[in-house]
Amino acid sequence: MSEDRITKYAEAVLAVASAEGGGLEVEDELFRFARAVEGSDDLRRTLSDSKIPAARRQQIIEDLIGGQATPATTAVISMIVAAGRGGDIQRIADEVVALGAASRAKAVAEVYSVIELTEDQQARLATSLQSATGKEVEIKVIIDESVMGGLLVQIEDEVIDGTVRTRLKQLREAF
Amino acid sequence: MKKRIFVASILGALLLTFGMAGTASAAGASAEECILTEWLEEKGYLGGDHGDGHSGDHADGHDGDHAALHDEELLKDIKKKCKEAPDYIMPELKEVIWGGGAFLVLLGLMMWKGFPAVKRIMNERSEKIASDLDQADQAKADAQAVKTQYEAELADAKSEASRIIDEARQQAESLRSDLQERAESDIAEMRSQAAADLEAARERAMSDLQAEVADIVVGAAERVVEANLDAEAQTRLIENYIDQVGSD
Repeated sequence: MSEDRITKYAEAVLAVASAEGGGLEVEDELFRFARAVEGSDDLRRTLSDSKIPAARRQQIIEDLIGGQATPATTAVISMIVAAGRGGDIQRIADEVVALGAASRAKAVAEVYSVIELTEDQQARLATSLQSATGKEVEIKVIIDESVMGGLLVQIEDEVIDGTVRTRLKQLREAF
Repeated sequence: MKKRIFVASILGALLLTFGMAGTASAAGASAEECILTEWLEEKGYLGGDHGDGHSGDHADGHDGDHAALHDEELLKDIKKKCKEAPDYIMPELKEVIWGGGAFLVLLGLMMWKGFPAVKRIMNERSEKIASDLDQADQAKADAQAVKTQYEAELADAKSEASRIIDEARQQAESLRSDLQERAESDIAEMRSQAAADLEAARERAMSDLQAEVADIVVGAAERVVEANLDAEAQTRLIENYIDQVGSD
């Protein structure tokens, strides 16, 4: 799908979230769902399979996040899947987060971690990143077991890597 | 040449002259032989016609005396005749005249026909010999010219052969030098390639060994880290990260 269409879908999602009054929460839940889809090939194939009826795919969405996400988040995801754009949900989610942060004059900081960060940790990390980059950021935590430990933060094109995986890689390259 | 021809002509004339005179003098070999020969001729024993009239009448006695007298007179005549035989030293005048005349006639004939013919033959012979000598000289000169040409060509051929040999030797030397240089270059290149291959193999071995050691070490480190990365350790790593980012 073209970037222009991705942007239009993202703008539609933000409009729905804004209308429902939970824009930031919808962005966050959509972002997490997109990361979950990215980590599961079966789920990605299922959501992007046009042979599966749209109602069936929407039912899968309902079953997965119906009781955990806000109704607005579930609605926008169902809308995307029903429109046959399940395969592009990661790009749409990234664009939604980017547009939402931009509307708030902030940059998105994707934080890869093995464990979930607490609210306090996220707040202190945002403050540290702002002092390091000079940008006000919004933290989006992505659970990634491959980092083994520590954090990896990507703000736009800038990457700050403090993971155990990278340290072990550097150790391997040192030999 | 003329003197020789003249002497030969004189000798020929004398031979002819005395040959003819010899025939005349043969009649007076000796007195006894002359008498005997004349007697036999007169009596008809040698084919003469004198004896036929005398021999047939010898049977009669009267006629026998007459025949004896006749024989005696005949003998006297024969003796007289034989006494008047030609001298062996001085021939008779008529023989000299005939002989001299024959000589002169023969000499004239020789001078008129023989000598010119002989002279012409000798001249032709001389001219032929001279021509042959000229031809021989010409042939000799031609042969000499051919020999000179052959010698020049031989010298040229030797020079050309020498030049070709020198050129071939130079080419062979150049080729040998080129081949040697090429061989040395190839050897140097092969040595360099072998050294490079050896170094590459060594580096690969070292790299493989380092990778293997790294795998072992890092694998061990990963196992240690994984074993010790509990929730508390993860939290501590996150806190360290936040503090380090904030301090930079």
